[in-house]
Amino acid sequence: MKVVQVRCPNCSQPIYSKIKDIVFFCENCKVLHIRGGETKVIDYEIADFNKTITAEKKYMPFWRVWCNFTINESRVSGGTFRKMAQFMRGGGNSGSLFVFVPASEMDVATFKQLAMDLTMSPPRYSTRLDFGGLQRLPTKITNGEAENVSDFVFVTIQADKPGILQDLDYDLVCQEARMVYLPFVVTESGPRPAW
Amino acid sequence: MSISVGLNCPACGGAIQVADGEQVVNCEYCGSMLYLEGDGGVNTIAFKMKVDRGAARAVSEEWFRKDWKARDLRKEAKVLEIYPIYLPFWSIKMRVIGWICGYDERTYSDSKGHTRTERIPKEEMVLNDYQYSEIACDPGDLGIKRLRNFLGESEFEDFGNIPTYEATTSKDEAMKRIGEEALNDARGEAHVQHVTFERVHVLPRALSMIYYPIWVVRYGYREKMYIYTVDGVSGEIISGRAPGDPLFQSLAITAGTTIGGLIAAGSLYLMAASETMDPTITLIGLAAGAIITFGAYMFFRHGSEIIEGDFTDKKYGLGGLDEMGVVSDLLKGRIDLGGRI
Repeated sequence: MKVVQVRCPNCSQPIYSKIKDIVFFCENCKVLHIRGGETKVIDYEIADFNKTITAEKKYMPFWRVWCNFTINESRVSGGTFRKMAQFMRGGGNSGSLFVFVPASEMDVATFKQLAMDLTMSPPRYSTRLDFGGLQRLPTKITNGEAENVSDFVFVTIQADKPGILQDLDYDLVCQEARMVYLPFVVTESGPRPAW
Repeated sequence: MSISVGLNCPACGGAIQVADGEQVVNCEYCGSMLYLEGDGGVNTIAFKMKVDRGAARAVSEEWFRKDWKARDLRKEAKVLEIYPIYLPFWSIKMRVIGWICGYDERTYSDSKGHTRTERIPKEEMVLNDYQYSEIACDPGDLGIKRLRNFLGESEFEDFGNIPTYEATTSKDEAMKRIGEEALNDARGEAHVQHVTFERVHVLPRALSMIYYPIWVVRYGYREKMYIYTVDGVSGEIISGRAPGDPLFQSLAITAGTTIGGLIAAGSLYLMAASETMDPTITLIGLAAGAIITFGAYMFFRHGSEIIEGDFTDKKYGLGGLDEMGVVSDLLKGRIDLGGRI
């Protein structure tokens, strides 16, 4: 076992950071990569922040996973899978959607809320090439884990009130995961969008 | 629970600390991001031996006196062999995430004996982190299967001159076993009696191989050999075998059968004397009497040897009953006494 200094796989510059993050952002060439068995460059987007918001803003990482789903059967008590209707094609039982998986450490309630809100209403934003001096929260979930967590988010959308889910027969195929950094203002009542 | 080990930054030489299972660390001196490349993704950590031979021997004084061991054990026991070893353990952090749905059933009875069963739908979100350890070699007769202590000074693979057991179980085997254990624990915590839908993922978060120092002490008592092991970091007894006391065994069987019989007979007498008494109380009394009697018998049967630790043949007293799941099942209401627990 050995300890190595992390260098960018693109420009070989050493990477410096004050946060303990499983993804590494090169300030020199703006390449983001992840390690674990092998070094892999990952696609990412940084949403531009709303400059009219003066409160302190932070970038939160999300894995945006493109998923195809087919719902074969759903049995609930007091509800239906109506929430997925907007993603279904031509009145059928299959469709596609971007599942947003919060990738930083947070409490369960915030995780659920962010995952559901962003998945149900995907954010629209313009992008930028760097973080503009804003702090970014560290990533704690790998892209591989994000696919499994996408499945969890998918069922969470189905299982959330008012339905008392009893059975759900579905197929979910995750295609690709992209890292998306979204700016938020952290308030006592939870993170508030700042894009 | 956390383990941290010291190392030096390859860029500036500064001293840094890495927590167990972490792959990434920041150097607080030069700000470099550092990455731990373990063998096959496994970090290997060795705890430092902190207990000397004398202390490992002395700890028996207190242990020999505890529980139901032979009263003359402290006087008669002779230490035959005492040596240190390092044992390998897999330490794995798991996150279990998913949903378990289904229903619980509640049965109600009215005064006329009519019963009604209500079905209560349940959907339980599972999002838990677990840390498990399991021994990575055949521990033989040492009675150690899991790490009990995760605190102490540690380094990467520095065993000194102490012999080391080689790891014989693979990473994949350990991950599979521990993954199943995490899944079962998560299912247990969800408390869904009848599961109709389950979608749960087990995500390995960190994997380490921990080498832990222990002292093995073999001692003789009346021409029989026994063993105990001492935690090389905390100095506490981890496992051991010791002779029991025939007097305690005799007292246990006498008192146990007497008390158990009185409780069972008392509950039958009360039922016969009172027409309005709930028969469930009699059934509970009979069960309690039977458990006490059986516990006393188990202690009498197996109390000739007092066993502590992860031995598979540990079965005496009420602890033995619990090993067989009787007590825990009763407490959890899995054993139905009259259908009302």
